[in-house]
Amino acid sequence: MKKKLTFLLAIIMIFSLAFTGCSGSGGDSGGGNGGDSGGDSGDTVKIGWIGSLTGDQAPWGKCESQTVEMLIEQTNANGGVLGGRMLELVKYDTKNDPNEAVNAVKRLVSQDKVCAILGPNASAQALAITNVLNSAHVSDIATVATNPKITVNDKGEVNPYNFRVCFTDPYQGAVAGGYAADVLKYKKAAILYDVASDYSQGFMQYFIETFEAKGGTIVAQEAFKAGDTDFRPQLTKIKEADPEVILMPYYYKEVALSANQARELGITATLMGGDGWPSDNLFEMAGKAIEGSYVVNHFDYNDPDVIPLTEMYIEKYGTTPEINCYMVHDAYGVLLAAIEKAGSADSQAITDALTQVEYKGVTGTITLGEDTHDPVGKEAAIQQIQFNTEKGEYEYVFMQKYGTQE
Amino acid sequence: MSVFLQQLINGLSIGSIYALMAVGYSLVYSILNFSNFAHGGVIMLGAYFGLYALNLLSLPFMGALVVAAFAAGLVAVGLEKIAYSPLRKRNAPSLYFIISAMGASIFLENFVVATIGPTFKTYPEIFSTTPITFGAISVSRIDILMFVIAAISLAILVFIIEKTKVGLAIRACSYSARGSNLMGVNVNRIIFVIFLLGGMLAGVAGMLFGMKYTVYPQIGVITNKSFIAAVFGGLGSLPGAVVGSILLGLIETISAGYIASQYRDLIAFSLLIIVLVVKPSGLMGKITEDKA
Repeated sequence: MKKKLTFLLAIIMIFSLAFTGCSGSGGDSGGGNGGDSGGDSGDTVKIGWIGSLTGDQAPWGKCESQTVEMLIEQTNANGGVLGGRMLELVKYDTKNDPNEAVNAVKRLVSQDKVCAILGPNASAQALAITNVLNSAHVSDIATVATNPKITVNDKGEVNPYNFRVCFTDPYQGAVAGGYAADVLKYKKAAILYDVASDYSQGFMQYFIETFEAKGGTIVAQEAFKAGDTDFRPQLTKIKEADPEVILMPYYYKEVALSANQARELGITATLMGGDGWPSDNLFEMAGKAIEGSYVVNHFDYNDPDVIPLTEMYIEKYGTTPEINCYMVHDAYGVLLAAIEKAGSADSQAITDALTQVEYKGVTGTITLGEDTHDPVGKEAAIQQIQFNTEKGEYEYVFMQKYGTQE
Repeated sequence: MSVFLQQLINGLSIGSIYALMAVGYSLVYSILNFSNFAHGGVIMLGAYFGLYALNLLSLPFMGALVVAAFAAGLVAVGLEKIAYSPLRKRNAPSLYFIISAMGASIFLENFVVATIGPTFKTYPEIFSTTPITFGAISVSRIDILMFVIAAISLAILVFIIEKTKVGLAIRACSYSARGSNLMGVNVNRIIFVIFLLGGMLAGVAGMLFGMKYTVYPQIGVITNKSFIAAVFGGLGSLPGAVVGSILLGLIETISAGYIASQYRDLIAFSLLIIVLVVKPSGLMGKITEDKA
């Protein structure tokens, strides 16, 4: 019994030592302005990457880390950064667990003293690491984390060390509204939305603001609740308002049902949607009804800007990359631009430079806003659903990249 | 005017789906005095049975409908044997039946998620999806078909209950199961028939629902509304279930079409609560106590 107690005490002591040691060095590098700390310490410039290399998110995390490795190799082969200093990558597996993400960031800022961090590839992890980043004064650029709260907290204040290169969910609404008014020249739009979903409401709100600012009118705005299967009462009302385009900002099941029912009622208006649409089932469920519809998406494989990166990845790793490859490529590009702009590998100087640079990435031109830390007016890929008579199936056809400042 | 007519047709079509589902609830309630929440699960299975009968057995539409009806009927009977019969033998209060039914419903949903998977499935296109139009009004072919099949199924049910010997026994049991038992009616056999009929209706409803919309493991949730419609019309009364369902469909459509779609459920269900406060047995109900 006594032995056990001693053992337990010993463990507690070891843990508390490890813990205080950790936070101590964390505070150390948190000096930021203290010259040597914060990554600017040696010949090499250290960059951190965190993400899921195991667990069910692993395919995306693996693709992301491989892309960073590939890009760093390329940069080093071309002479490195800051006039000849080599880049070094330190990567940690977060196992798709926010706690692991926090630990990984602690290690990166205290032991490895990286100058900035790329990743992670999930919103929950990106939200969890905010406090550690703030106390260490090291910035993180998230890749595909779309939750609005990652960069701007509940009080509306910007998180000083959290950035991202993907656009937030509601921003798709602004793109859809701008594209409908500017490019498709529509004047009358109707909206069917899910009254129980934040995604749907935010999307709708931004669509209305942009579409009306560009001279369009919203002729009908009808609601349903997720789980509903019949939309004909709302669609009958929309039909009466005679819109040119109907916005459907929700997920594919309801999209399929409402699109089929709209055509059944004789509605011929163009349909528009966002990244909730793409799914293996959508074409099977409603191919004919959604033919000719426009979809706002993060990127498109057939975009000419995207193709060289795809080819480079396939040549090195032999598989087709996921979306993470393109997003982390742009995050990496923004970071390199910021390092050059800062003129040093000091983490605070890099943080300050992140909002000062403009980077033309493969998914769009990225300028990180000072008060949002999100990409401002970034382009989205506009796709149209068309029937490919050769293959005998429906497919997404890349139309153009489109962004809006409003 | 044409918009109003279109909305009326929309309402009737939604109402007739509710009706097909609500009758199953009422049938069980009229004999056993409890709400069979597993009915939604049986409807969901009916949709899958119909889909597989069409796709794997390559049956024609009517054949698949019959298969779906009988397979769902058997599932309902099986559920009765496993989940309710033991409780009945011990004279458990109705609350226990309801809990058991809810358990069965959750089991069925998760069983399908685990075996078939959570994705949405679609029926092959059996009937042309181009609607029939009268001026500015359009009616889809499946709606007409559903309406006809719902009417025929309900007519057969009414015939069985009103004109046959089994029907007489069912009616007798719905007045007093104990009394009928004393008069020599085999109550267990009547309960078997009730679950078979209710399950077959669920199979038909499930397959029609799946054809019109889509098939997924959570279809059962939709039946919550048809249960409410059954209460509204008067639980235990078959005409009440039909009238309540059609009215609920119409009220929903009219409030979405003419007041505000955001408040559709709020308005529709406020009306239902008012009706139940004024007339607790529902529009055509026969029992006023113990409505669980």
